[in-house]
Amino acid sequence: MTAQQVVERIQKKLQELKINWRAQTVDTFKAGLPETEVRAIATTGMATFDVLHRAATAGRNFVITHEPTFYNHLDQTADLETDPIYQAKQRFIKDNNLVVFRFHDHAHALQPDPLVAGSARMLGWTQYASPNEPRIYVLPPTTLRELAIDVSAKLKGRAIRVAGDPEMKVTRVALGPGYGVPALTTSIDVAVGGETAESGGNAEYILDAAADGQKKGMILLGHMMSEDWGMREVAEWLGPLVPEVTVDWIPAGEPFTMAK
Amino acid sequence: MPGGPTGASAHIQSPSMDSLPTSRREFIVGTTAALLSGRMTRAQRPSLTAQQVADRIRASVGVPWRDQTVDGFKAGDPSTIVTGITTTVMATVDVLRRAAAAGQNFIVTQEPVFYANNDDPGNRAKDPVYLAKKALIDEHRLVVWRFSEHWNARQPNEAARALAATLRWTGADVPDAAQTYRIPETTLSALVAILRSRLPLRGGQRVVGQPGMRLRTVYLSPGTTSLASAVTNLQKADVILSGEPREWEAIPYTLDTWSAERGKGLIAIGRLVSEGPSAQACATWIRSVLPEVRVEFIPAADPYWGVNV
Repeated sequence: MTAQQVVERIQKKLQELKINWRAQTVDTFKAGLPETEVRAIATTGMATFDVLHRAATAGRNFVITHEPTFYNHLDQTADLETDPIYQAKQRFIKDNNLVVFRFHDHAHALQPDPLVAGSARMLGWTQYASPNEPRIYVLPPTTLRELAIDVSAKLKGRAIRVAGDPEMKVTRVALGPGYGVPALTTSIDVAVGGETAESGGNAEYILDAAADGQKKGMILLGHMMSEDWGMREVAEWLGPLVPEVTVDWIPAGEPFTMAK
Repeated sequence: MPGGPTGASAHIQSPSMDSLPTSRREFIVGTTAALLSGRMTRAQRPSLTAQQVADRIRASVGVPWRDQTVDGFKAGDPSTIVTGITTTVMATVDVLRRAAAAGQNFIVTQEPVFYANNDDPGNRAKDPVYLAKKALIDEHRLVVWRFSEHWNARQPNEAARALAATLRWTGADVPDAAQTYRIPETTLSALVAILRSRLPLRGGQRVVGQPGMRLRTVYLSPGTTSLASAVTNLQKADVILSGEPREWEAIPYTLDTWSAERGKGLIAIGRLVSEGPSAQACATWIRSVLPEVRVEFIPAADPYWGVNV
């Protein structure tokens, strides 16, 4: 079975789910040859150089990544051709006969979004999902401080940041994937996601709400601490579609070594 | 430190200038007199509108004003008479209240005011937090003017220079490597400790790279750090000190340098903390082009606290 055939299985399954393959999408082959014979598949939050090393060592020559391989959303490489880091990564991919495909736009189109469901499962929130409001979780009452400590302990993130009064009461949480941190509104206590712009959004809103006597909060997990888990969900979804080959998950993991 | 002697220009409109040292008094009087053709006395303060203040800044910034820009009036009436200027990284409600209390009704902000880069409240148009902020601006007749793209286009880069001054690295510039500073050889974790002691950090200092990595050169990148900037500047610098780099761009690029056995470091301190010195330096610069107006900097706190700090 070739990498191209694996992608065709994915496309066929999506068609059954009435999710059309987009004409404009970042979900394309990023490196390697689509006609490469697949020995085994690894999904990951991001095809970092370290993930590629681990995939090659484990005999997973087809890597399906959620985020880019070459450090920009469109994986444009023209400006990187002379860069030694890029060159080393490309050489490693070639020498090890790896193939990298991105599964981003269509992964988010699945219901439920596996990138959100994966975080919720890691956090132990699945049972608290609101039945009729996507991404909303109604948690047993807690404080922002307690919630942040619990989140940090469950994900083992090393660089989780919080905005808002640590003692604020929390029940209604909006959980978003990656850069898609939900915008805070009157009906949400705390937004949780990967990363977001510090200005022009929730951080400013939280400060202004506090000045107006309203308590709002945000927990930023970091992009990989938000979406890496969801690619394990994708591995479990993909496995039955390609029974001929092994599919498992190689976590990209926390990129930050410390936060002080 | 950027910002100069605190409140020096505030004395221009203080009730009495008699307590000022003679040399400074003469300097101030001389400067304003020169600008106003000798007609100004304290009883005849110049009445500049917000529009005139903005025009003076635009004419003085030394950068062609762009047709498409986020800079400009965000709230308030440009015909308002300016009673004083506040510079800030982000015009939060707290900053606006402090500016109003100090009688400085013209707020120069580097970042957006209404929770979106284009300041369009969008879904928040009826949100009570947004409405309360609008009401505060109206009540105190404040004018909010964004000055980001053009301030940051000045060369040498004002934000990097101001951050370097706060870090006490002025004069340590590496020749032929803009915004790059050579410091006494240290480790990444020791640099983090230095930053913690010199910056008003609460949560946002996140590090890529092995803590024991040895380093000598740091590229200062307040705000964000594009991929192109990371690729280019890590050729000369050991570490990038950034505000908020994106975690699918400069962060994984720096991470991958370790797998390529060319390990580099990146420290993300948060946008507001990284741009604080820049907003203070902006106050100093505006004083130099509007010496007849009181100009003060109001710091905005690090909005984050760290669970793992």
